Amino acid sequence: MPLELLLVLVVGGIAGITLMMHLAGKSRVRTLTPESARSEWLRHVPDDDIIDVTVAHDGHSALIRTPAGNGLVWSFGADTVARHLLDFDWMDHPDGLEVFFHEFGTPKVLVRLDEFERQHWQHLLEPA
Amino acid sequence: MTDQVTFPDAVQWAIPFFIAAILAEFIWIAVKGKGGRYETRDSVTSLIMGAGNIASDLMVGFLIWAGFMWLWQITPLNLGTSIPVIILCFVLDDLRYYWVHRFGHRIRWVWASHVNHHSSQHYNLTTALRQTWTYSFTFMMVVRSPLILLGFHPAMVLFCGGVNLVYQFWIHTEAIKKMPRWFEAVMNTPSHHRAHHGRNARYLDCNYAGTFIIWDKLFGTFVPEQEDDKVDYGLVHNIGTFNPLRVAFHEWVGIWRDATQPGLTVRQRLAYCFAPPGYSHDGSRDNSEQIKAKHIARHPEDRGSPGFEQFETDMPNSQAKRV
Ligand SMILES: [Zn+2]
Ligand SMILES: [Zn+2]
Repeated sequence: MPLELLLVLVVGGIAGITLMMHLAGKSRVRTLTPESARSEWLRHVPDDDIIDVTVAHDGHSALIRTPAGNGLVWSFGADTVARHLLDFDWMDHPDGLEVFFHEFGTPKVLVRLDEFERQHWQHLLEPA
Repeated sequence: MTDQVTFPDAVQWAIPFFIAAILAEFIWIAVKGKGGRYETRDSVTSLIMGAGNIASDLMVGFLIWAGFMWLWQITPLNLGTSIPVIILCFVLDDLRYYWVHRFGHRIRWVWASHVNHHSSQHYNLTTALRQTWTYSFTFMMVVRSPLILLGFHPAMVLFCGGVNLVYQFWIHTEAIKKMPRWFEAVMNTPSHHRAHHGRNARYLDCNYAGTFIIWDKLFGTFVPEQEDDKVDYGLVHNIGTFNPLRVAFHEWVGIWRDATQPGLTVRQRLAYCFAPPGYSHDGSRDNSEQIKAKHIARHPEDRGSPGFEQFETDMPNSQAKRV
């Protein structure tokens, strides 16, 4: 196949499909409830027991407390991703907290929190 | 020399069909309200991975071609390009695909390339195009050498491999539940391949087939999709990025970090590169056998069911016999 034609097909195809999906409303991000955060955590980490769940007000992240330590589950497009908070750092961010995982395939998450939540999450993340 | 054998590049010529089929599936799901899920960023990532796969083929393809043509020079065998030979070549190349794909799930070095095909939590026609950029790093193209040495022309071997990939495109869909029974028995189908994309303990390391599912039945890796165990698509540890560069290279970076950490023996370093995915020197990770065993501990009722055959069914009197 001539390279020009290949390029037109690939670029045009990707652009067209992207536009169609976006206009069809397929870019919406998953919203979590305490129940769905719990079931999503168990989907990712089926062996865990959950002590309690704290969902951020925007519904895009939840802190999971388990006997093995804290975990974070967050919206990832229409789905979710979950990680135990073992090898991680976090930093204050104007919109909440930024969590870094030291993992090339899962670099960081922005947890959006209001001022009230920020205090509570910081307390949960760093128990005395 | 009569090496003027040319075959079309099946994958490239199929691109218009890929685009049309994605549109058709998308509209089908929108109209029916079932049969799959689409998400913009997930699909865009998959499509970019597909484009990058074609680009990487263009970049290293001539090197691989040179190697194959060298093998063609040294082999005394030439089976020609008749239709029966092409069919035989396709079947044998499909067997080659089965083993390369099986290595792709059981050797971390090859998994580092293949992992990205499984890195989406979605399963639709765009997932089919989420292909590796790093296949050449695995050196798995050498598995094709025996075919060329047997007298199948390199152009024909590559053509058959391309047709195989095009065949596998349409099976990446939830819109088709089951094909006719005879078809499900012989061919790889949406149902069989859905199971292959599952992160459920039951479906780990099953259904490696390209076109013919018979290889899995022959080599003991076939697990039929179960009505009561809905496939959960993606990786055991799903990644949290849509960035194509991170998707393409994350497992290679993982191998590097694991194998170069201080204080390991050479054996442990090699295991981080070549053992089945999930290996760890300190037992901090689970491989697929351990994940299955943990599932059976939680769900003893699944003992002996498809995907858990290695865990014997506990009959009331088998307990006594084991004493
Ligand atoms: Zn696979
Ligand atoms: Zn697939």
